[in-house]
Amino acid sequence: MSAFFLKRALQAFVAVLGVITLIFFLQRLAGDPVLLLVPQNATQADIEAMRTSLGFDRPLAVQYFDYLSGLIMFDFGRSYVQNVPVWTLILSRLPYTLMLAGGALLVAFGVGIPLGVAMAVRRGRPEAKAMMGFVLAGQSMPTFWSAILMIIVFAVWLGWLPPSGARSWSSLIMPSIALGLLSMATFARVARTAVLDELEKDYVRTGHAKGLPMHRIVARHLLRNAAIPVVTVAALEIANLLAGAVIVETVFAWPGLGQLTVQAINARDFMLVQGVVLLGAVTAIVLNLVADLLYSIIDPRIRLEGNA
Amino acid sequence: MKTVSRPFRSFLAGIVLACSPLVLQPAQAKDQFVVDLTNEPSSLDPQKQWNPDSYYVYRNIFDNLLTRDDAGKIVPQIATEWSYRSDTEVTFKIRDDVKFHDGTPLTAKDVAFSINRIINPAFASPQLGQFNKIVSAEATGDHEVTIKTDGAYPVLLAQLVKLSIVPQQVVEAKGDDAFNAAPIGSGPYKFVSWQKGVAVALERNDDYWGEKGVFPTVEFRAVPDAATRVANLQAGTTDLAVGLDTDLAAQLESSANAKTLSVLTERIGYVKLNPNLPPFDDKRVRQAVAEAIDKQTIVDGLLGGVDKPATQMAMPAHFGYVEGIKNYDYNPEDAKKLITEAGAAGKQVGFATAPAFDQRIVQAVAQMLTNAGLKVDIEMTDMATYLKRAQSAPASQAAISFGRWSCACQDVDGVLFPLLHSSSSWASGSSPEIDKLLDEARNTLDEKVRLEAYRKVSTHVAEDVPLVPLYQAAIIYGAAKNLEWQPTANESLFLNRMKWQD
Amino acid sequence: MVSSSAAVVRPLKARRLPWTVVPFLAILAGLVLMAIFAPLVSPVDPNAQNLLARLKAPGFSSRGIVYYLGTDELGRDVLSRIIYGARVSLLVAFASVALSGVFGSTLGMVAAFYRGWVETVLMRLVDIVLSVPAILLAIITVAVLGPSLTNVVIVLALTRWPRYARVAYGQTLSVANMPYVRLSRFMGAGWFRLLSRHILPNIAGGLIVVATLEFGLMVLFEAGLSFLGLGVQPPTSSWGAMLSTGRNYVGTAWWIATFPGVALFLLVLAINLIGDHMRDRLDPRSR
Repeated sequence: MSAFFLKRALQAFVAVLGVITLIFFLQRLAGDPVLLLVPQNATQADIEAMRTSLGFDRPLAVQYFDYLSGLIMFDFGRSYVQNVPVWTLILSRLPYTLMLAGGALLVAFGVGIPLGVAMAVRRGRPEAKAMMGFVLAGQSMPTFWSAILMIIVFAVWLGWLPPSGARSWSSLIMPSIALGLLSMATFARVARTAVLDELEKDYVRTGHAKGLPMHRIVARHLLRNAAIPVVTVAALEIANLLAGAVIVETVFAWPGLGQLTVQAINARDFMLVQGVVLLGAVTAIVLNLVADLLYSIIDPRIRLEGNA
Repeated sequence: MKTVSRPFRSFLAGIVLACSPLVLQPAQAKDQFVVDLTNEPSSLDPQKQWNPDSYYVYRNIFDNLLTRDDAGKIVPQIATEWSYRSDTEVTFKIRDDVKFHDGTPLTAKDVAFSINRIINPAFASPQLGQFNKIVSAEATGDHEVTIKTDGAYPVLLAQLVKLSIVPQQVVEAKGDDAFNAAPIGSGPYKFVSWQKGVAVALERNDDYWGEKGVFPTVEFRAVPDAATRVANLQAGTTDLAVGLDTDLAAQLESSANAKTLSVLTERIGYVKLNPNLPPFDDKRVRQAVAEAIDKQTIVDGLLGGVDKPATQMAMPAHFGYVEGIKNYDYNPEDAKKLITEAGAAGKQVGFATAPAFDQRIVQAVAQMLTNAGLKVDIEMTDMATYLKRAQSAPASQAAISFGRWSCACQDVDGVLFPLLHSSSSWASGSSPEIDKLLDEARNTLDEKVRLEAYRKVSTHVAEDVPLVPLYQAAIIYGAAKNLEWQPTANESLFLNRMKWQD
Repeated sequence: MVSSSAAVVRPLKARRLPWTVVPFLAILAGLVLMAIFAPLVSPVDPNAQNLLARLKAPGFSSRGIVYYLGTDELGRDVLSRIIYGARVSLLVAFASVALSGVFGSTLGMVAAFYRGWVETVLMRLVDIVLSVPAILLAIITVAVLGPSLTNVVIVLALTRWPRYARVAYGQTLSVANMPYVRLSRFMGAGWFRLLSRHILPNIAGGLIVVATLEFGLMVLFEAGLSFLGLGVQPPTSSWGAMLSTGRNYVGTAWWIATFPGVALFLLVLAINLIGDHMRDRLDPRSR
């Protein structure tokens, strides 16, 4: 197991390096930030001077190795737009992203999974159909639309919640729901599918024959088996969440990393974008690694990295 | 279960720690004035950046050498009077009763330091280009500063309106980074804190030498989405919001908590043509474009009649605005005729734009040109790509592009020179006579000579149509119902000029 | 547990459709037909502006034209724009699902089937693509390639194919180990025959479930791209763009967003319901 782990860790390192390099060069294809930093009536001379002072006149390879050597010392560069080190900007936004992701996962997981299981177990009954309707409705609206509807109803008309910002716990509620809604539907449907698959299996019938109550069967045996597809989806959904967070953070003015990323990309703030992508890459790759590990633990029949 | 508890506990602890920013926020004080900006300031050091969101905030922390009153006239601020020793030398007398927020007095040394800092190429200020005609600034007395320029510079005073005074001792002692994180100025509001991404908090300077502010504390927040800014106003959680258009403003008409305030600004909306690319190398087609666009309907229909159609790339408040420039009248049939005559009917042209511009106007113009016979493809890219293309070599610029121009100087030199002079990266063509006229006008202090040169340039623009000036833009703010404030044309958010109605 | 190597997909007509699915099939069919026959069905040109008749309520009529669903912020007919918008939403969703599905599934199948370094390289590639933020990819693609419908499809396909790859990979791993597959391999069957005859039919069900989930998602993502200014270029109407613009008019001209929103909602709902039903059909028993 440890050889497998080491191998995967090495591959993960290479993958992260690949992402950084890809992003480094890809970004620069789309222009540099200088034109956005100078006033409209700056002359060619002004623009070139700015370019030189930011180091963009050096050959790309030089800039790349400069960046890499900085990374080794944990120096992630400075933001061209805000003139502060990248890591301070990321650190200032990270708590908000974690809070939003936590809230959304709570909504998605905490509502979605039980809903999915319930729908599968009570299949064919009217309440399952109603739950299915609710789940599908949540999956049929774009995030920015459900967001603005919530703001209008709960903040402007009813005044129960603050319309935007990150002032207090109450401002976390609507963004979490908006972000978690899509994922909740996915989790519910995948859980339902997985449980339905398991329900057909022999051990369930055996359990019934032995007189075990349904909820015991579900809790003790079924959920563990149904976990594989859910785990696969969970890793992907977390990535989805972080991507969908961009829209939620923009609409609710929630100061998370998603908003920061979009603004950084639009401003061509290369160092900041690279910092965020690096963080995201490490997170995603680690999550995938964990998912794969769980995969092999849950189903020992699937031997990863091995001979068939 | 024992093996789970420790990592689980630390996981919980991590979550609680991560949530602490929410808990540690002070409750919103009742007498706090909240302003919604589109983006948070990029930096509060007045010389480190050039964007409106930063300007809105730091303009209240710092005083400038000169300022404009509500009518747009240049009036003293830190400088009380000035006199020209020669064409290239100006002496300013400085106030003697100004103190920085840390209590130290503002002297001529600080003024000279501020100017020298911004024109120092090593400092790499993005604003350098606006001040680089200044050669040096010297404190020639305790309250006197002498500025030397490189040749006659008629726009000097207009540019000095944008120069903020920073305290020499503080900047030199703390360094640029620390100063940026905790700026100290002499303005009506003091910097308190900046929670990155969330808000900048200011508090009133009770020792201010000039008109003191009414609000004890002010908070600037970044709310990128316009619909959310409107919702904030309607819910009463925000007192002032920037960046609304007429349709959004209409939503506030029936609101109990908010209203709109607007004013005509320096910005001119225009459509720029590229005479290097067919079909715009044919003057008839350019003339057709000018005749195909119904400026009045755009202004009345889309802009609520608040903005005004433009006859030239200037507004009456600009120096260099000339009366009586004749444009081609709106004549869609003639436009169609000209385009068919020039063989340009059905030709595909790309129309470059960016999300920051009013897309309704872009679509309206595109449709008008399509009705006249051209096939217009709107190409909306982000701002960085748009700027890159607009300032690239003339042959690779877009055939048509939409833009809004403001030099923040109320002088036509800041508009016509970058758009038309062949040395500028924005120019699409070059004409030696236009170059000569523009150079002449910017290097003399004689107002009559300048006006005559600009008259010739604007007439040429109206006749040859390298660009079509569309409208003079208004800026619309959303404000709390009982806020009393006259917005200014140069889009400065002077907090100390606002107050509550009784 | 052992399925025959013959195709597993039963024709839908073989059984009666439950009454809950029929109306949504009808809706989907209706929307597709509306999209195909847009020029015939649409009352007016969707791009015809009338700046003096902006933001008029449904039922407004002027100069002999009745605007059944009102006019938008440039005086264009909302109904016509919805009809033409169906084309964009359906085309974008279908093309991106097809592109990403075929590409991703193939990659995943190959990786799981061949194991070894092929598997390593492909699955790490999946990791890399998954860790690049979709937004970044979208903005850069549009900045470099220019904005257009084709590029929207490319962006969506680029960001979604790893999902198919992962699912195909996981499922192929299970199937490839089965005795009859290993037997066929041992007996020298070519890779194409193996993949298409033995693997694909068994994992098709799972992949189709993913594809139907994704179809609805792609319609929504196109709306998200329009919200961020990266979608189809105006004046082409897409439901997502109309929804995005309509947010600014909720109080004054609710019809601009509501009707496209309902259309979008019905489309995605129909797809999801039908997809669910197909899953039930294709895979009534667990493997």
